[in-house]
Amino acid sequence: MDDDRISLAHGNGGRFMRELIEEVFAKALEASEIDVQADAVPIDLGDGEVLITTDGFTVQPLEFPGGNIGSLAVHGTTNDLAVAGARPMYLTLNAFIEEGFEMERLERIVRSLADAAVEAGVRISAGDTKVVRRGEGGGIYLATTGVGVRLPGAVPSLKQIRDGDVMIVSGPVGDHGTAVMLAREEFGLRGDLVSDAGPVMALTEPLLALDGLRFMRDPTRGGIASIGHEILKATGLGVRFEATIPVREPVQSVCEMLGYDPYYLACEGRVVAVVAPDQAEKALAIWQALPDGKEAVRIGRIVAGEQRVILETPLGGERFLEELEDDPLPRIC
Amino acid sequence: MARTATEWLEALRELGVERPVRIMNVCGGHERSISIAGLRSVVPANIELVPGPGCPVCICPEEDVYEAMQLALHEDITLVAFGDMLRVPVNVPKKDPRSLEQAKAAGGDIRPIASPTEAVRIARENPERKVVFFAAGFETTTAPVAAMLAEGAPENLLVLLSGRLTWPAVAMLLDSDKPGFDALIAPGHVATVMGPEEWGFVVDKHDIPAAVSGFTPESLVAGMYSVMQQLRDGRRDLDNCYPQVVRPGGNAEARRQLSDVMEVVDANWRGIGVIPASGFALRDAYAAHDARQHFQSYADESRKRVGEMPPGCDCAKVVLGKIYPNECRLYGAACTPRKPIGPCMVSDEGACRIWWSSGTRENVWEGRKRDALG
Repeated sequence: MDDDRISLAHGNGGRFMRELIEEVFAKALEASEIDVQADAVPIDLGDGEVLITTDGFTVQPLEFPGGNIGSLAVHGTTNDLAVAGARPMYLTLNAFIEEGFEMERLERIVRSLADAAVEAGVRISAGDTKVVRRGEGGGIYLATTGVGVRLPGAVPSLKQIRDGDVMIVSGPVGDHGTAVMLAREEFGLRGDLVSDAGPVMALTEPLLALDGLRFMRDPTRGGIASIGHEILKATGLGVRFEATIPVREPVQSVCEMLGYDPYYLACEGRVVAVVAPDQAEKALAIWQALPDGKEAVRIGRIVAGEQRVILETPLGGERFLEELEDDPLPRIC
Repeated sequence: MARTATEWLEALRELGVERPVRIMNVCGGHERSISIAGLRSVVPANIELVPGPGCPVCICPEEDVYEAMQLALHEDITLVAFGDMLRVPVNVPKKDPRSLEQAKAAGGDIRPIASPTEAVRIARENPERKVVFFAAGFETTTAPVAAMLAEGAPENLLVLLSGRLTWPAVAMLLDSDKPGFDALIAPGHVATVMGPEEWGFVVDKHDIPAAVSGFTPESLVAGMYSVMQQLRDGRRDLDNCYPQVVRPGGNAEARRQLSDVMEVVDANWRGIGVIPASGFALRDAYAAHDARQHFQSYADESRKRVGEMPPGCDCAKVVLGKIYPNECRLYGAACTPRKPIGPCMVSDEGACRIWWSSGTRENVWEGRKRDALG
């Protein structure tokens, strides 16, 4: 490939497009053994219930400390399968690239997408690229569809949640949202915070062995407060967050400066689990023994009779966490 | 041996003052910390925490916002303003742009900024163009504007100044029949710049206990403890509960620049009226940077409700601590952060916005209506 920037010819179905697909995408995705010639390919799923999910990625900036839009496109979709109790197996990939996009940057993004896929144990089995005219896209947009198979064990779902259940989180909240925001350098703020974006299968799979596992979710857009509202809405049970929700110092100070609430900021590599009270300690112990779960803690409980999402503050006070309205940080995933 | 917020709270409970006490704060940052930490639910029940005149956006004259909009719409300029000014509504006929944000959509070159440095940068990058900096704020934002001018701003940078001092609003309340508070938490950042002494009149002249506090729950509860202890002991002194940054005399350099560049004048507060010696105006030596001198005035006295809050909006009462945000009939009903009617729901420093974003959704009027029906 001689070009150092994407042109409309890279999307015209001809030679340049073939070269782009072969030399940038297929090369990086070697481990996926992607068949770029076929219109459609068979996938082998083995036994078990098949789960499917899809997600689009428009993060700005495209690259941020701890990841980029490529790795995010793998983590976002595979994590959705993981928290549903599935093992992700295949992804499809759509790339919408803006005319003028630097080839070197594209290669970097595709490479980290490929690395993330290997790490997550998924194959990219089908894909498509389009080139949009200059000014019609934010550099590059990605969309991935993920297919996985339900693992044996608990079947986590909102319907399983009961009064008195305990909520745990695998690590500090709001790192991703804050890291992306700092990378924008919009507010004259700088920091060395790294996004938590990453695969969560190592966290979700061992919890499936607990019959008291009720529900899992990755707190992406809308943060943990929004998980509280999803639970409230689906079950009619109140959610009481305790004053133990871990928030890193830089996240806390950015929130204080800009008037944000960390409980609404996104993570891309954390899991919130709702567990029966008698198995909460066990679930925590499982997570804390894992590299990604060292900072796991109990963060709340399900309470019938209080149909609100309530936050207990460190001083013993409380306030309501209302449903998110205007996103303080648009386009973080 | 600094106490934690929890220890201060414990001490506050043990003070044994049982009569009802209303403690006013004068800073959006204080109100935010109080709301986010849920302090109202943990202080002793006889203590009421009242948000006071702590929001510069909320009291910025409606005429000044209107003027800024008209300059942006009718003059060949770039208008820069602090972000939370952009959505403040003015009183105009329905078809006209009613905020800087809408004036921008109508073609005005209006850009949000976060600091005077950005105004200077934009002026430097566009030397052929006049850049008007709509500078609304209290002492903490006005001082950097003075510094910017004192240190030499680009020739094409003009200032539409709408700076205010905080203490005169408190003085006005204390001079009135019903101040509405028994103790004061004075603003830490303002005191950092101007010195805590500015607030001495509260204790000396009015016999009201006061403490300067910072923005952590520790510093705020320490301030509450201090004023309650003063009440109990019949003692009055202006306590400094933010000694880490608040020093006697404040920031001498910032104060010198302020008085070099600006004079203190009588000034209008939106919905409240003129408060003597409560505003800043550029001195003649800086007339070349004064947008009010440079452009014709677009003031239109025939406008309906000129200078007032929008119809039905109780922002002025909220600012003066006369009612709580959710005691306004519009709160959460017609007025929300997404569709704000009054400035207190626009600004991050506005009590209505702060109460809304920290989870208070119920409007007292709606509650009463429901109770009456139910």
